[in-house]
Amino acid sequence: MFAKNKNLHANPKLGRSTAHAFDRAVSWPLGQIVTRQTRRLAASVAFVVAGVLAGAGCRSNTPPKSATAAASKSGVPRGGDLIASVRSEPRSFNRHAASDSTTELISNLTQGKLVHVNQATQAVEPSLAESWTSEDAGRRVTMHLRRDVVFSDGHPFTADDVLFSFEVANDEKTQSILADAVRTGGKPLQVAATDPHTVVITSAAPFAPGVRVLEILPILPRHRLEAAFKAGTFAKAWGLDTPMSDIVGLGPFVLSQYAAGQRVVLTRNPKYFAKAPDGGALPYLDRLTIEILPDQSAELLRLQSGQLDMMTSEISPESYASLKRSADGGKITLLDLGVSRNAEGLFFNLKPGAFGADPRAPWLQRDELRQAINMAVDRKVFVDTVFFGAGVPVYGPETPANKVWYWEGLPHTPYDPAAARQLLASIGLTSGADGVLKDARNQPARFTLVTQKGRPSMERSVAVIRDELKKIGLTVDVVALDSRAVIQAFLTAKYDAIYFNADKTDLDPGTNQDFWFSSGLAHMWNLEEKTPATDWERRIDELMTKQIASPDLAERRQLYNEVQKIFYDHQPMIYFAAPRIFVAHATRVTNLTPAEYRPQLLWRPDTVAVIR
Amino acid sequence: MSRTLGLVLVTFALLAAVAAPVLAPHATDAHFGGLLNAPPTVVHFADASGGWHAPFIYRWRLVSQLEQRYEEDLSTRVRLAWFSGGHVVQSSDEGAAPLLLLGADSYGRDVFTRLLFGARTSLGLAVTAALGALLIGATLGGLAGFAGGVFDDVLMRAADFVMVLPAIYVALALRAVLPLVLTASEVFGLLASIFAIVGAPFVARGVRAIVRSERRLDYAVAAEALGASDARLLFRHLLPSARGFMAVQMTLLIPAFIVAEATLSYVGLGFPDPIASWGTMLHDASSNIRVFADFPWLLSPAAAMFLVVLGVNLVLQNRRSEDVRHIGVRHTQRL
Repeated sequence: MFAKNKNLHANPKLGRSTAHAFDRAVSWPLGQIVTRQTRRLAASVAFVVAGVLAGAGCRSNTPPKSATAAASKSGVPRGGDLIASVRSEPRSFNRHAASDSTTELISNLTQGKLVHVNQATQAVEPSLAESWTSEDAGRRVTMHLRRDVVFSDGHPFTADDVLFSFEVANDEKTQSILADAVRTGGKPLQVAATDPHTVVITSAAPFAPGVRVLEILPILPRHRLEAAFKAGTFAKAWGLDTPMSDIVGLGPFVLSQYAAGQRVVLTRNPKYFAKAPDGGALPYLDRLTIEILPDQSAELLRLQSGQLDMMTSEISPESYASLKRSADGGKITLLDLGVSRNAEGLFFNLKPGAFGADPRAPWLQRDELRQAINMAVDRKVFVDTVFFGAGVPVYGPETPANKVWYWEGLPHTPYDPAAARQLLASIGLTSGADGVLKDARNQPARFTLVTQKGRPSMERSVAVIRDELKKIGLTVDVVALDSRAVIQAFLTAKYDAIYFNADKTDLDPGTNQDFWFSSGLAHMWNLEEKTPATDWERRIDELMTKQIASPDLAERRQLYNEVQKIFYDHQPMIYFAAPRIFVAHATRVTNLTPAEYRPQLLWRPDTVAVIR
Repeated sequence: MSRTLGLVLVTFALLAAVAAPVLAPHATDAHFGGLLNAPPTVVHFADASGGWHAPFIYRWRLVSQLEQRYEEDLSTRVRLAWFSGGHVVQSSDEGAAPLLLLGADSYGRDVFTRLLFGARTSLGLAVTAALGALLIGATLGGLAGFAGGVFDDVLMRAADFVMVLPAIYVALALRAVLPLVLTASEVFGLLASIFAIVGAPFVARGVRAIVRSERRLDYAVAAEALGASDARLLFRHLLPSARGFMAVQMTLLIPAFIVAEATLSYVGLGFPDPIASWGTMLHDASSNIRVFADFPWLLSPAAAMFLVVLGVNLVLQNRRSEDVRHIGVRHTQRL
């Protein structure tokens, strides 16, 4: 679930423990070279339509006639430079060694994948694999690789590179953070090449989400990296000090320059395999500069002054008005991409025995406490205060952005502080004359809520939670720490409660097993349980096992609804609201396909163009 | 004139801090949900038709929640309630039309109220820390200057060491080893201690130099010859000659500590929210890019800091001139 959670994956221990197999026979006879209209038509019958919502608030820019001098046959301008921004340095140019958002972005810009998930429609599209077929209830998938593809250094791409990429991910010495992505039931996927352009991927168990999980794995050049792999130094390969010319890939861009703390410059890969709808070469851009700007205010100011073309993350609600003025003045384009698929949440430390002799232990891990908190926070106040009204209340693990897996039948907890007080009284927390809840020792009922410093949405959220719970007499001590300290508290189970983000990599819950299974590395409230600590967690394990194996979407939805109901009843993670996603870009940027998920404007970098 | 202005500014700030519970219309943590970043309430004397009335206000009507734009609802006048509920002035309809003399912050809290209560925190901390720095610095500097020798060397090298330490990182390191949750009084004590220790060497070096030079003067030699004890000589005769220097140091330390509190709060090491201090208020304001263009009232703590620092400087600048004249006269008499 959290493979793209930049914070959690600052620690390589936190990866994805998904079980992958392939069950759907999917074929794309038209290959990669299909028109945008065709893709959209195909997407419309795909099983996920989150992009419809995302696209509702989007507009596409049509280049003016004056720009067509350097335009493709389809009218999309060619050439030019685009300047985007990120908030942090890349930690490596090796995707297996680091999972921070900048490393991931640069990997997506420079490396190719077997398949591509269209973030706007959620449809799986061909990429290096131009088609595939599935057999044996999805356990065996034969992928036909695109021919005449070469790496950026001119070396031919073959099935051998696919085998190498899987070897790297599965090698224990590499300790790849992507290892869990290519495992099923804890066992690596078996990959074999039947000829230089065909690979067969075999899984031990059925896996309903299908080949979409392969989008996470970059296909690496064996001829460049095999030496390091054999020497056991792969994890250190392609570090930040590597000469740019040594880093080759199958992506639309190649690294040209890295200035620490300043920028990463990428130039067009002239050997990129994908073609534009008119048959012309991609990418459209000549150069892509990624400026490293740790502060969003700096990003916004540069965007408004024309020094930046786009950001790779959404804008905060408090910045909306400022950008709207610029948009109204024609300087930038402001997009509303709809409700986020991700919501931040509050979870308590539910590890058995975590509080030892702490006198709060009798009530701190009780379901009733979490249920009371769920009732005591007014979600309207939450949305109004944290997101200035630009959000929706959320009551479970899915937001309305997830059109397939969001369950309308999940109860919408009413704001009811009186009922919350009654629930707390049932676990021995009673109110004194001063209105403060006290436990059996007559000590104030209080707990510490940790969150990440420097994240306005989180800091504002915990302030609202603290103030709302104060109304029912619960005392919350808010502590804001840097992300590493939060993760350390989380990993060592030394915390009372944490408010944090748990971003989903994919909308299909079957790909988020590390969150759902009690043994998961991202089972937030109690990591890596050897056996389920509670009956309800055992039941979720059983349901998710069936859900992942079932080929029938209706059955999968019914099973997942049951999981969500159990989750709601026990509230291991309490969700309050999800924000709307706003992004902005310079008006000269065109041919965008915005999507709600990061990088909202750059997830399809090869088709982005600028009007010069 | 300048001293008078300084006195007015400082007195005004101190009175505002002391009388905060009465002057402030609201509690520091009172939220007005529909008024996030609302502009200051304008007190009117005439309505839209030109009719004159006792002072009144209009309620703010939300025009755009996401953009946080408001306009006055001219349909209803809301009169001010004077000397009621233990406050000098409030709105007569606090629920719908609260009196927000300096607007509201991003949580809908009254900035004027928080500014007054923040003055208590920030000024109290700065003055306490400055006095602590003077006490520690004068004592150690006086002892070093009086004793001389190895004692002097050790103390002055220690002072040098503290002076070259980057204060912000010292504060960060100290905060890291302390418990995650600290009460406001614990934070006050911690910050006052850090500031006093960091500020003391600057005082100590100056006092040491004065004591060393004064000790050679005739009046000190005479006192020693007449049998004055070391303690009497130091505290009765030598240290008083450093009064002017210490006044100058107060001029420098108080503003520096006001700013330091703001800086530490700005990086999240200061007082926990919702405790109001000028630093925490600026910290809240800093996260919003629209502060300068749209919500300048959120910067009122910065203006308050400027005025207080100016006032302290004007008062003590005049005091310094007097001290210089006084010292000159004293030395002339001694000679």
